[in-house]
Amino acid sequence: MKGWLFRRAHFSQERIVLAITIALFVLFSATLNRFLTSANLLSLLQSVSVLGILGVGMAIVVIGRGIDLSIVAIMAIPVAWVLYMMNQGVPVPAAFALGLGFSVAIGVLNGLFIAYVEVPALFATLATGAFVYGFGRSQLFNQDIIYLPASASWIAAVGRMHVAQVPIAVVFFAAISLAGFLVLRYTKIGRFFYLIGENYLAARITGIPARPMIVIQYVLSSLVAFIAGTLTAAAVTSMNTRVVNSTLIYDVILVVVVGGIGLSGGKGGIRNVIIGTLLIGILLDGMTILDVRYTLQNLIKSIILLVAILVDSIVNPRDEQTDQQGDI
Amino acid sequence: MIPLFEMRGITKEYRGVPAIRNVDFTLLQGEVHALLGENGAGKSTLTKIMAGVVQPTGGTMRLDGRPVVFATPAIALKQGVAMVFQETTLVPSMTVAQNLYLGEERFLNRLRGIYISAQQFLQSLNFPVDPAATVASLGAAKKQMVEIGRAVRHNARILVFDEPTAALTPEEKHHFVALVERLKSRGVSIVFISHALEEALEIADRITVLRDGQHIVTDVTANFDRDKIIHAMVGRSLSGELYRRREQSQVRPPGRRVLSVQDLTMGNMVRNNSFSVYEGQITGIFGLVGSGRSETARIVAGVVKRDFFHGGEVRFEDRAVRYKVPAPAVRDGIVYVTEDRKLEGFFETMSIADNLYAGLLAKNLNAGGPIVNMAEMRRLADAWTQTLNIRAINKNARAVELSGGNQQKLVIGKALLQKPRLIIFDEPTRGVDVGAIGEIHQLINRLADEGLAVIMISSYLPEIMNLSDRILVCRQGRVVEEFMPGRVTEEKIMYAAVH
Repeated sequence: MKGWLFRRAHFSQERIVLAITIALFVLFSATLNRFLTSANLLSLLQSVSVLGILGVGMAIVVIGRGIDLSIVAIMAIPVAWVLYMMNQGVPVPAAFALGLGFSVAIGVLNGLFIAYVEVPALFATLATGAFVYGFGRSQLFNQDIIYLPASASWIAAVGRMHVAQVPIAVVFFAAISLAGFLVLRYTKIGRFFYLIGENYLAARITGIPARPMIVIQYVLSSLVAFIAGTLTAAAVTSMNTRVVNSTLIYDVILVVVVGGIGLSGGKGGIRNVIIGTLLIGILLDGMTILDVRYTLQNLIKSIILLVAILVDSIVNPRDEQTDQQGDI
Repeated sequence: MIPLFEMRGITKEYRGVPAIRNVDFTLLQGEVHALLGENGAGKSTLTKIMAGVVQPTGGTMRLDGRPVVFATPAIALKQGVAMVFQETTLVPSMTVAQNLYLGEERFLNRLRGIYISAQQFLQSLNFPVDPAATVASLGAAKKQMVEIGRAVRHNARILVFDEPTAALTPEEKHHFVALVERLKSRGVSIVFISHALEEALEIADRITVLRDGQHIVTDVTANFDRDKIIHAMVGRSLSGELYRRREQSQVRPPGRRVLSVQDLTMGNMVRNNSFSVYEGQITGIFGLVGSGRSETARIVAGVVKRDFFHGGEVRFEDRAVRYKVPAPAVRDGIVYVTEDRKLEGFFETMSIADNLYAGLLAKNLNAGGPIVNMAEMRRLADAWTQTLNIRAINKNARAVELSGGNQQKLVIGKALLQKPRLIIFDEPTRGVDVGAIGEIHQLINRLADEGLAVIMISSYLPEIMNLSDRILVCRQGRVVEEFMPGRVTEEKIMYAAVH
C-alpha cells in the first residue's frame, strides 16, 4: 500500500512483539499439555475479548495523542445502572437507551474538557472516571455488584451464545476490531484522528476541525466501553463495579502500548491492538495454567508495561525534532 | 603562531545528509572572526559544534594546541568557549543579577550581595544594565549584554555569536560594535555569524565564508569587499538572479480588492492595523520581529488561539469575517502558510501523499462522502510532487526526511490543494536551501500571475524588494508605510521599520 506509511514506521517494533507472541505460543504449546487444546484457546480468546475491545476504544484516543483513563468506569457504571434499572422494572430498551446516553454524555464531557478547555487528557479522564464511579455508586445505585434480573435471562443466554463454536464475546471483539479498522483506515474521520495525533497544530492550521474530532474520539471510546461492559454483564450475569478500582485500566494501556501504538500519537492501528491482546492473552493464560500467583502476575504485567513504554519512547520520541535535521 | 582554537576536517551529518563537510577553521587570540554564508551554508552547525551544542560526525578540534572534545555546552564553557544564542537563554522572571549568578548561588543566597557584585561586574564591562531589573523588562540589546556578561563571568575566552545584531535596532547595533571592541581589548576572541555584510566588513578582523556546508575562503578583512564576499557566498551568480531589483514595468497592477483590514487590534501586538490586499498581486509585508505582521496575518486566517480579535474589522471579498479557528477560513479560501513549518506546517512521520491529501480533505470536508479515496490521493501526490518539484529519496519518504526546501514546498502544496483565493506566506524561504528559494519565488510569482491574492511576510529585504508588487512596512503593530517596489531603497524600508 503506497502512501500508507504508518505501517513502516512501526514495522520493527510490531514485528518484535509478534515474534515474542509466537515464541510464547510455541513455548506454552510445547511445555503445557493443557495449553494447545481448542477449548483452552477459545477460553483464552474469550477472556481477553473484553480487554481487546477496550483496547480498540483506547487505541482510537491514543492515536489522537490522547488517553482515556475513564474507560473502565464507563464500562462498569452505566452498564451497572442499566442492570439496576432493569431490576427496578424499567423496560429493557429504555434502560439500555439511558445507559448508552450516560456513556455518550461522559464521552462528550471528556472531549469538551480536552478539546475546548484544553485540560490534559490524562487529568480530564482521570477526573471524569472518578466522577462517574462516585456518581454511580452514590447517586444511581448503592451496591457493589448488580445482578442481571431473572426476567432478563435471555441476555445471559446471548452471553453464553456461540457462533459456529466461537463465543459471542470473541465474535464481538472481531466485529468491533473490523469496524475500528475500517473507520481508522478508510474514513476521513479516521484519517483526521491520525493527523491530529501526529501534529495537532498542523492539523488545525490545515483546516481540519480538530476540536470536534477530539470529541468524536472520546465518544467512540465511551461507546466501545459500553459495549464491552454489556458483554461482560451478559457473560457473568452481573456487573461488579469494583472493576473500576482494579488493574484493568493498566491492562488496557498495556495492550495498546505493547501492540505498538505510540503514546506520542498518529501511529499504529487496530492490528497492533490485536497483536497486543494476543500477547497478553497468551501470557495470562500460560501463567494461569502454570498457577503463577496473582500478585506475581501483576508484577510481570507491570514490568512488561514499563519495558513497552520505554521501548515506545525510544522508538517514537515524542519530539522527533530533537532527533532530526536541525537548522543548518 | 599557534592559533587559539583550531578545527580540522569537521563534518556533521544529520541522518547521513551532511550539513557541513570537511571544514577547517582557525581562531586567533583576541581576533574578531565573522562567519558568512547563505541560509543553509552550515554556519549555525559549525558554531554549535564549536560550543559543544552539537557533536561533529568527524574531524578534530584543538584548543591551545591540545585536542579537545566538547561533549556538552557545559564542558565547552568550562574550557572557555561560550555561545550567545539568538534566542536568549536567560530566565525572564529573574533579575539581571540573578541571571548572572545563575547556577552558582550559595546556600544562603543574599540578594543584596549579588546585586552589588553584579553592579561592579557590569560596570567593569561598561554595560549600562540595572542589575535589579527583571530580564523580561529589558530590550533585546540589554538582554544580549546580560547574556554576554554571563559568558564573560565564566571566563569565556571564546565567545560565539549567532546573528548577534539581527534583533537589534541601528543604535543598539552601534553599542554592539563598541562592546565587541571592549571584549577584544580584554583578550576575548569572538566568532560571529552575520547576514549583514557591511557589519562583518566593519568589525571583523578576519572573515570565513562557507557555502553548501564547505569552507570556501578565510582571509583578513582588508582583502575583502562586498562583491568579493557575495561571490564567495554564492559561487554562482544565483544571488543576483534571486534578489535582483524589480523593474517598475514588472509590477503587477492591483485587481479586485480581496481583503481589507480596518483598525484591527489584538492586545499590544496589533494596534489599529489597516490595509488592503488585491487580486493578482504580491503584497509584501516587511517588519522586524515584534512588529505584529505575523500576528495580523494569523488573526485574518483564524490561526491565533482563542478569540484575540479585540477590535476592528476584517472584510474578505466584501464580507465581514471573524474566524476563531482556521477551519472556516480555509473553507472560505484564506490559507496561511506558516513560518514555523516544523511546529505547525507538516505531519512529519507521514508521507508526501498523506500530507498533501490532508489539505484536500480539510478543504472539502463534506464532498465525496465519508470515505477516503486512496487512488485520488496517490494521483494528487504524483501530480503535485511533479508540479512543485518535491525531491525525495522515494515516494514513501516521510516528510521529516525531506530537506528544508522540499518540506516548505510540501507545506505550500498542501495549501495550494485547498484552492485558496488569498494565500499568506509567512517567511516562505526561512531555512530553505538556495536552490529551493529560487523555485519557491518562481512559484509565488506564478500564483500572483494566475490572479491569486498573495501576501508575503518576510524579514529579508532583498526578498521583499524582488517579489512584492506593493511593499507594506509594519512597525509596532500596524502598517505604517507603503512603498512602490521600483522606487524604494532598502534603507528607506528599514528606516520606516525601525523609527
